[in-house]
Amino acid sequence: MKAEFEPKIIGFFCNWCSYAGADKAGTAQSPYPPNVNVVKVMCSGRVDPQFVMSAFEKGADGVIILACHPGDCHYKEGNYRAVQRFRMLSRLLRQMGIEESRFRLDYVSAGEGEKFVSVIKGMVETVRAMGPLSAPVSAN
Amino acid sequence: MKIGVYFCNCGTNISDKIDAEEVKAGLSEFSEDVHFTTTGFLCSEEGKDFLEQDIREHGIDRVVISACSPRDHENTFMRVLSKAGINPYLMQMVNSREQIAWVTEDRQKATEKAGRYIRSAMRRVMLQDPLEKKELDMSPDVLVIGGGPAGLKAALSLAEAGRKVIVVEKTPVLGGMPVRYEEIFPNMECGPCMLEPMMGEILHGEHADNIELLTLSEVEDVTGFYGNFIVKIKQSPRYVDMHQCIGCAECVGPCPVSAANEFNYGLNERKAVDFPFMGALPNVPFIDASMCLKLNSKECSACVEACPVGAGVFRFDEQEQTIERQVGAIVVAVGSSLYDCSNIPNLGYGKLKDVYTGLEFERMLASNGPCGGEIKTSDSRKPETIAIIHCVGSLDKNHREYCSGICCQYALKFNHMIESKLPGTNIYHFYKELVIPGKEEFSLYHHAMENHNATFLRYKNIETLEIKDEGGKKVVRNAMTGGGAVSADMVILCPAVVPATGSGKLSAILEASQDRFGFFEELHGRLDSAQSKMRGIYLAGTCQSPMDIQKSMNQGMAAAGYILSGLVAGRKLEVKPITAVVDEDRCSGCRVCMTVCPYKAISFDAEKEVSKVNDVLCQGCGTCVSACPSGAVKGNHFTNEEILAEIQEVLA
Repeated sequence: MKAEFEPKIIGFFCNWCSYAGADKAGTAQSPYPPNVNVVKVMCSGRVDPQFVMSAFEKGADGVIILACHPGDCHYKEGNYRAVQRFRMLSRLLRQMGIEESRFRLDYVSAGEGEKFVSVIKGMVETVRAMGPLSAPVSAN
Repeated sequence: MKIGVYFCNCGTNISDKIDAEEVKAGLSEFSEDVHFTTTGFLCSEEGKDFLEQDIREHGIDRVVISACSPRDHENTFMRVLSKAGINPYLMQMVNSREQIAWVTEDRQKATEKAGRYIRSAMRRVMLQDPLEKKELDMSPDVLVIGGGPAGLKAALSLAEAGRKVIVVEKTPVLGGMPVRYEEIFPNMECGPCMLEPMMGEILHGEHADNIELLTLSEVEDVTGFYGNFIVKIKQSPRYVDMHQCIGCAECVGPCPVSAANEFNYGLNERKAVDFPFMGALPNVPFIDASMCLKLNSKECSACVEACPVGAGVFRFDEQEQTIERQVGAIVVAVGSSLYDCSNIPNLGYGKLKDVYTGLEFERMLASNGPCGGEIKTSDSRKPETIAIIHCVGSLDKNHREYCSGICCQYALKFNHMIESKLPGTNIYHFYKELVIPGKEEFSLYHHAMENHNATFLRYKNIETLEIKDEGGKKVVRNAMTGGGAVSADMVILCPAVVPATGSGKLSAILEASQDRFGFFEELHGRLDSAQSKMRGIYLAGTCQSPMDIQKSMNQGMAAAGYILSGLVAGRKLEVKPITAVVDEDRCSGCRVCMTVCPYKAISFDAEKEVSKVNDVLCQGCGTCVSACPSGAVKGNHFTNEEILAEIQEVLA
């Protein structure tokens, strides 16, 4: 039964690095599983913790934020804010019973199409192995 | 509300993997009026005409385009929307090609994913607001900070194009560092001869009327933003009238007060009224207020009496003044400084006689310098042996990690000049690495290598070199070569190039960031090294990174180029509407947004006790939107409602 489970994952990609990295994987026509649904933001610093909470609440089994590499942020330091919020939110989610590996932050540059594919595959496989998120979640 | 969904097949790039009919069938849940159309190539001329007409014909209010990446054609389709008479921000693109069709193996799964994306784009686009670009007037005038090669090149290029330029120079003299060098690498050109024609153009040339030169001046305060900076400049008095003085120097001799001349690094003295060095431009002396007897309430009028022009030349009543100017852009060209060699105590700098920095030695070589161009020791002997230490503090994790890039070349120039002034002098080069790139620079290298009196000795680490005074000789010991000693009469240190003193203060005034070494930080190391991270503030010369004169001049021209192409008289500043906006009613005045903004685009209105976003400075990253604990900051085109709707629908 578990083998057929297709996880639903939300991916927050920043416009300048990771979204472009995803496009790079596209131009290279490197296939990856379709489970990650992309929400584009201008900067990973725009990822409001409530977006992540809402994603889990609305049925996501995992959430991944892909940012510019440290030091490469188009907006100088937005990715550092993303990391700060990510760390805090990870602890909060854990307290709510959402396992750490369902929520991930990684860095993908505009040139790293291959890395993008491996990060996405890794995330999908991890969440697939964990099974559906069953813990009751409320954003309030 | 009528939503137009345009599904581009992109030939068969998309239609091979995504079944448009199935996607269309999945839109039945929408109660809104949905107009679904499939096209071949929406980005073609034919496709764009079709899109424009179709939007008009069907009275479309919102547009979703499922096609390639928005990084390819979002702007293209936004322009079509404008032509079709709807606001271009009422569109959402779905990246069906790069992020679905090209990367999903299973056609059914790709179709399902495209369906989810299109439905969520529809939910999002329904919430999107029409946004308008704003236009602001811009001042075409430019402030150049620093009167060295880079600043002057920028100023002259801009003045030649008809721009008003204000040049602010801290010292009384133009030309920066190289005007003080007798000869310049790589081809032994005379420094003043090379720069003086350019300075002549600035002072008296055809376009000099476009240049306001403020010497003895510093920028004190800058407010505003690209296109509209208000600059406050503090000018110290020169006490000599720039226009009346004929520069004859008759006043200098009779002046009874002398002190160390900082323009020659204290190697000689100057008078209270003097030129920094002979030939300094502008050709007008300055009076040092701390030294001048008359300015210190003592009886003296030696200079006034000696002046052939008349008493009006001297202005002892001049006061410090603050000058305010409005400019559209600022070029930072404040140059650099040298690493403090006393940080490496084993080299003896500052303690031992006859241990000089490269700059001090440059002045010794200069015919208008403290020794009239003669190389001599502190006891006036001709040195028989000179040691040149390369990489002093450069390429060194304990000091400065980077290679300063110019030192090898001027060290080889010294080699050449020592050999020509004092043939037969033994020259020892102690180096860590030799770096001599470029198509002209090799000749000094080969010249030094072929000089039988020149010896190159490698050292491992600056700490393994030791310079000691033994009976008047400077003995250099190099642990790497087994401690073998070289006994020299003079030692020249080539220190790392470091940011100019005061860079930190200026960086804070301009809000243009510094890198980890303290140099002004470029927008991008390769693409835009002559732009700072602050819009409208450009960088030229060694304030950005160690570099030679050629590169400094290039950056001066690059800065001028950016300004001429971006800041055009009569053209308005277009402000993109994807910015943050503060809802004053919800803002509690906590100012968290101000602490996270990377552009200092948010200020605090103390009267209303609310934050305010300057939409010229705001770059639309949205970091403040996520940070606001009251939800009072709205991120235009990326609002919470829009993003939450997208999340909800894609998971439905």
